[in-house]
Amino acid sequence: MAEASNSTNPDELYPIAVLIDELKHDDVLLRLNAIRRLSTIALALGPERTRDELVPFLDESVEDEDEVLVALSEELGSFIEYVGGPPHGHVLLSPLENLAAIEEPVVRDKAVESLNKICTELSSQQVEEYFIPLVFRLSKADWFTSKVSGCGLYSSPYSKVNEQTQSQLRSSFAQLVHDETPMVRRQAATNMAKFVKEMPANVVVEEMIPMFQHLVQDDQDSVRLLTVEILIAIAETVPKEKQASHGVLLTSLRSLIEDKSWRVRYMIADRFEKIAKAVDDEVVARDLVPAFVKLLKDGEAEVRTAIAGQIPGFCALVDRNTLLNDIMETIENLVSDSSQHVRAALGTQISGLAPILGKQETIDHLLPMFIQMLKDEFPEVRLHIISKLELVNQVIGIDLLAQSLLPAIVQLAEDKQWRVRLAIIGHMPLLASQLGVAFFDDKLGQLCMGWLGDTVFSIREAATHNLKKLTEVFGVEWASEAIIPKVMAMGAHPNYLYRMTTCFAISTLASVVTMDVIAKSILPMLEKLAADDIPNIRFNVAKTYDVLIGVLRRLPEQGTIYTLEKAGTPFSASPKGQQLIDERIMPSVEKLLKDNDVDVRFYASTAAQAATAAPVSGGEPMNTSP
Amino acid sequence: MSDLDRAIAQLRACRPIPEAEVRELCHKARELLIEEGNVVTVNAPVTICGDIHGQFHDLMELFRVGGDVPDTNYLFMGDFVDRGFYSLESFLLLLCLKVRYPDRMTLIRGNHESRQITTVYGFYDECLRKYGSANVWRYCCDVFDYLALGAIVLGASNTLPGTPAGEDVEIEVCNPDQQIMSRFLRRGRGRGAEGSPSGNGNGNGVTNGVSSTSPTPANTGPPGSGASGSSGGSVGNPAGAVLCVHGGLSPLIDNVDKIRLLDRKQEVPHEGAMCDLLWSDPDEIDGWGLSPRGAGFLFGADIVKVFNHRNDLSLIARAHQLVMEGFKEMFDNSIVTVWSAPNYCYRCGNVAALLELSEDDAGLGVLARSNGDVNRSTGGVVAGPRGVLMENDLEDQVLPGPARRYRVFTAAPQDSRGMPAKKPVADYFL
Repeated sequence: MAEASNSTNPDELYPIAVLIDELKHDDVLLRLNAIRRLSTIALALGPERTRDELVPFLDESVEDEDEVLVALSEELGSFIEYVGGPPHGHVLLSPLENLAAIEEPVVRDKAVESLNKICTELSSQQVEEYFIPLVFRLSKADWFTSKVSGCGLYSSPYSKVNEQTQSQLRSSFAQLVHDETPMVRRQAATNMAKFVKEMPANVVVEEMIPMFQHLVQDDQDSVRLLTVEILIAIAETVPKEKQASHGVLLTSLRSLIEDKSWRVRYMIADRFEKIAKAVDDEVVARDLVPAFVKLLKDGEAEVRTAIAGQIPGFCALVDRNTLLNDIMETIENLVSDSSQHVRAALGTQISGLAPILGKQETIDHLLPMFIQMLKDEFPEVRLHIISKLELVNQVIGIDLLAQSLLPAIVQLAEDKQWRVRLAIIGHMPLLASQLGVAFFDDKLGQLCMGWLGDTVFSIREAATHNLKKLTEVFGVEWASEAIIPKVMAMGAHPNYLYRMTTCFAISTLASVVTMDVIAKSILPMLEKLAADDIPNIRFNVAKTYDVLIGVLRRLPEQGTIYTLEKAGTPFSASPKGQQLIDERIMPSVEKLLKDNDVDVRFYASTAAQAATAAPVSGGEPMNTSP
Repeated sequence: MSDLDRAIAQLRACRPIPEAEVRELCHKARELLIEEGNVVTVNAPVTICGDIHGQFHDLMELFRVGGDVPDTNYLFMGDFVDRGFYSLESFLLLLCLKVRYPDRMTLIRGNHESRQITTVYGFYDECLRKYGSANVWRYCCDVFDYLALGAIVLGASNTLPGTPAGEDVEIEVCNPDQQIMSRFLRRGRGRGAEGSPSGNGNGNGVTNGVSSTSPTPANTGPPGSGASGSSGGSVGNPAGAVLCVHGGLSPLIDNVDKIRLLDRKQEVPHEGAMCDLLWSDPDEIDGWGLSPRGAGFLFGADIVKVFNHRNDLSLIARAHQLVMEGFKEMFDNSIVTVWSAPNYCYRCGNVAALLELSEDDAGLGVLARSNGDVNRSTGGVVAGPRGVLMENDLEDQVLPGPARRYRVFTAAPQDSRGMPAKKPVADYFL
């Protein structure tokens, strides 16, 4: 196969010959590699020889390891350009047809995927002549594997063929729907939703609804659960005003909702909002509201979890009175559900009800639920509630929220599990921006400072980042009064691990404080810490100096890097910054450079480099998380 | 960023580094470790950890609770590998940190740091699986031979910082839940005169002693080094030293200097002093007993007390045995087992612990450390004033233990382990 043609240099063809040899090699890995480079071979052979020699060769190579066949199926999908473009695209159908009949599902799936990809590039005539017969051959094969592949090949050619062929396609599909093996019916059901989308409403009503009805009555629940998607597809295609006249749809929907298999009910619950949007309002009010309530009370926790996820989406579609009278009570009962997963799912969704209910109803109905869920023994439930408080805040206002929910927040902030505390810290800046300075200082300030002395390192670290965000919210004035003194006080803690928090906090806060604060509060503290007994503190001071130098290089007389960058105003460094570096920082750094400890010297030299190097854009908070 | 820093970042993400880098790392580590004595001298403050056993994500949890390297000083007492799924990543990360921050990190050898044991309990197979050859395992085993056998912690404080004034708290146990689970007051003698416990406002940590430029040469070597020649009356460190070793004591070792005389650069032998240090367990017996492990010995309270007394030790910290509460003190608080692998083997349901020894208020925590490497620190220079010798120090025959804070922590949650917590919903329907 590899002999040199006139137009090609034999030397160039040699590697290709090797590749082709590798296609037949005993080692699976080598064959696999050769398949992956099939395009190179094809490119070298040219379109004509690829069509005449390579494709027939591949046609015969279906007797290989599944791994190789998967690769082959995938490669062939993008092979049209190598066989001479779309006009010759149909030559690829034959090897892919063989691959689509293989026993291994992974190979078949890839082959079907590639077939559909090729189909989109073929002309109508090619589709009629080559693709459609292929679909029929696969669908009428004896063995179910081919039929399963066939099921996936109906939607892509449908719009490319004439009406007569379309009707043939539909009747062929109907046979698959009525197939005796559940595997085929399952595959038909999976692909039907897509197929339905290709047709006009009247055809759907006449031919597809009966097929759907057949599948809904299937005795296998694994088939029935797939019909939920078909139902949605049909309902979206058939105009809402015509749906009422097709009672079949509604009966099917009702029977799916009441299905004895929980997996089917789960499917319904999981797609509830989509279903409700696809059907007309009358059906929603008459059928879906009771169904919703029923699913909320389902015996299976999985179903309740799924339907809890649909609460705000569905409740937005029904009118307020129905919501309050018929649905609310059941939702309220979910608060004390026996499954923590149901409660957690409810926790993520329940806040979404606040905008729908409005202020008064939120206070009447949602607040009691919140308060109870905030006491839930499962921390995830509590966290979900807190993380979504913003929505509630917008509806009922901060005062009410604060009164009723604050104790719970405080309790959560002191939770036994440190990961819960960590999560709460993450919400603090948001809470702070909504609560306002006065309230924050009063109720939460103490908490935020307390975290600086937490026993867990990660909490202390998160606390410093929290302080930075708080400073961004409340401004530097507030920070220099409320935060800085407390941070500095930590520097006197007898345990070095806690003293270190001061260094971390300074590095983090550097970009949100003014020149004044740095000069008056921060530098004196660092000078003290630079003489600490413990080398770990001293090299952290050096690291902090490094950050400060970066900031001072850019900091103007007034304002902070953060506020100026946010405002977008150009600013230039004040000479005072350089003066501080030279007079206050460098002497300490010099001392640290002569330290006994190698790590201190290392970080001091990094800081010294920063001080002597050209101005940089530093000020990045250092990342200490493991 | 240097190659080493990059390797550290990659290992922290739980991705193994290429074989060539492992080779270079192990080479550097050996150069470093060969300079260390059999018993490494470590200065407080230090955080002492027990077995890790390849539980990488729990090691990360340990750093999250205890603080990151190099900010916190760590001493790991062996058994980094085997049993867990990530022995390779865990050990290489610790080794990288050791090479990058030699003064902040101390690793000593456990009984699992051996060729014979790792071929049976998983590390060998893991290397083979992850690299396709046993080369990496070989490099690591060569490093194992150079790991120190023990460590002596000097200058640990007798008082716990941040405890209520006026109470002399000796032991504090914190769970990761921000609560102090229990506190134990120091029994008996009032030792309040030296190094007063101070509250937050005092600022002792920054004001004491360092400015003093008169390093007083010690009359005797550091306690526990045996250099003082006498015990009990040491002018050295009133706090007494802490000996850290993976397993325990050996009948062939009656003082710490005997450990220093061993030739450690070999595979762990089946018997003898080196084997015993890595394999023995304390037990409620008198004297010595045969160990059910088939290596090492069991030793009783009397052995520990005599050994501590003779060597001027206040505490022996060791690992080697699973304790459900993470740590366990025995024999009148003269020996403690620290265990740092939570939910051991991913199924035991135990919690893990760290032991924090804090710095001494008296400024004794600044003995510069050299470990024999001239380029790192100037060895032996004492930067702080010695504590004033109290009359009753000479009379005390049993040294008081250093203040110990145990931090208990639990296994890292599923979702931080980089695998899906549960299978996606779609799997129900397959």
